[in-house]
Amino acid sequence: MMQFKLFFRKEMLEMGRSYKWLWVPLVFLMLGVMQPVMTRFMPEILKSAGNMPKGMTITIAPPSGEEVLAQTLGQYSSIGILILVLSVMTMISGERQSGVSQMIFAKPVSYASYAAAKWASMLSLVTASFALGYGGAGYYTVQMIGAVEAGAVVKAGLFYLLWLWFAGALTLLVSSLLDPAPGIAFVSLGAALLLSMASGWLPRYTVYSPGSLPQISAQWLEPAGEAKGAVGAALLCLACIFIFFAAAVYRIKLRYSKG
Amino acid sequence: MTRELLQVKGLSKRFKDREVVKGISFSIAEGSCAALIGPNGAGKTTTIRMLAGLLQPSGGSVVLLAEGRPVADPRPYIGYLPQMPVFYPWMTGAEFLLYSGELAGLTRREATRETGKWLDAVGLRDAGKRRIGGYSGGMKQRLGLAQALIHRPRLLILDEPVSALDPAGRKDVLTLLQRIRLETTVLFSTHVLHDAEEICDEILMMREGEIVLQGSLDHLRRTYSEPVIRLEVGGDEVSRAWLAAAGGKDFVVQSEISGGRAKLRVADVERAALELMADAVSRRVTIRTLEAGQSTLEDLFLKAVRS
Repeated sequence: MMQFKLFFRKEMLEMGRSYKWLWVPLVFLMLGVMQPVMTRFMPEILKSAGNMPKGMTITIAPPSGEEVLAQTLGQYSSIGILILVLSVMTMISGERQSGVSQMIFAKPVSYASYAAAKWASMLSLVTASFALGYGGAGYYTVQMIGAVEAGAVVKAGLFYLLWLWFAGALTLLVSSLLDPAPGIAFVSLGAALLLSMASGWLPRYTVYSPGSLPQISAQWLEPAGEAKGAVGAALLCLACIFIFFAAAVYRIKLRYSKG
Repeated sequence: MTRELLQVKGLSKRFKDREVVKGISFSIAEGSCAALIGPNGAGKTTTIRMLAGLLQPSGGSVVLLAEGRPVADPRPYIGYLPQMPVFYPWMTGAEFLLYSGELAGLTRREATRETGKWLDAVGLRDAGKRRIGGYSGGMKQRLGLAQALIHRPRLLILDEPVSALDPAGRKDVLTLLQRIRLETTVLFSTHVLHDAEEICDEILMMREGEIVLQGSLDHLRRTYSEPVIRLEVGGDEVSRAWLAAAGGKDFVVQSEISGGRAKLRVADVERAALELMADAVSRRVTIRTLEAGQSTLEDLFLKAVRS
């Protein structure tokens, strides 16, 4: 426990000094706020684009607040995940490659607390960034578009957060397995993408897949908000996060310990 | 009576089909300083990494004894400095020492005290406040020594601690080691024999994954040193010809002659020296130097490595 605190403090300090605590939340905030603002001013933007034929009128049905939030989540599915993967991909592999982990593991440290600190700091970064971004999106939606149903919004946000946790945990696991950073990014992004696409193509087989979490959170935001398999998917996702953690601990142990 | 601190039996390591360390056995006594010497690629680093617990041996055992009893996890008793120590460039030297002290099990207060002490000891008092990213190689090596020693280990294991340093940095580290070895048992690897002679009393010589020679420095010197005469003559033709012929005299066991210099292994140094000088005078050969002495460890090392 003592060592976990030490490792965790070090991870937090590192994220602070490398400005991850600045730019990741900022990017998430920007992504979140952009959607309601763009939606609100879309008619004006189109008008000022200038190359419309004279006399043409465009009527855009004003979307509901929930729809705008669902679109925001769509933004996170692409750019959000990319930022997330890029910001945590070298957390384990970087220390292994530079060789600093040799000095750390020659000390009487526990491999589990080492990995747990990586997981905990990744989860805090993701949670804080997403909370900030999604909160910002919610605020601007209420200000510019119209009221939203708070319960559904919170639920959707929580399920989406789970999906981001899953992507982060997956990236850390790959980081404990592979060395080259581009390889880690490619594998983690590819796997996350495949999972979420698979739940679009084969909904029957992927009811409880973590990849269907983005869809589930979008469904919570629909008028007749009821999502199928939400609890199952959430539980399976949490189980996956834990399994990834255990696998990474085992992997780190295998590399360094005398077994 | 010295107690054993580390016992290594039949230690081997195989990478795929290549056996890098071939079942070596040795022990290190408490309070001694042992040097693991060998040419590059002899398996020194692999051995060291297995001793430090960073690499799983393919066979054999490494046992560390504390108070005469074997310990299950040797890591609290070992301080380890890798060949090229790498740190977090974004940390300051003091922060890293504090961090490694606490990781090794010191309380925050102890770690703070030891950090200050060791920063002084390795001469990084002022640099300790700066980020490690701006340190020189010598400073990193000294910081590495400090982090290996901060928890007062019983055994300090160093992998090539001075090989990558310039003469000044090397002198600094060797001086530090000389002080440290009074308090701690030290094992370090090197391919520079001179460094080993300077601070060590035990020698382990490795070649191609095997220990070819081991023992105390004095013992090796006594057992293996041979009488040798080193000769240097003037550049004229008479002298050169005489030197070339000198290798063929009956008291010369083996000779190495190149240009105006010769190294002659002889049976009896005094007789050989007298005969050579008398001979040289009678033929009007100009002798620049004549040194009658013993073969050095360097010669022994080369012999062991080449044989």
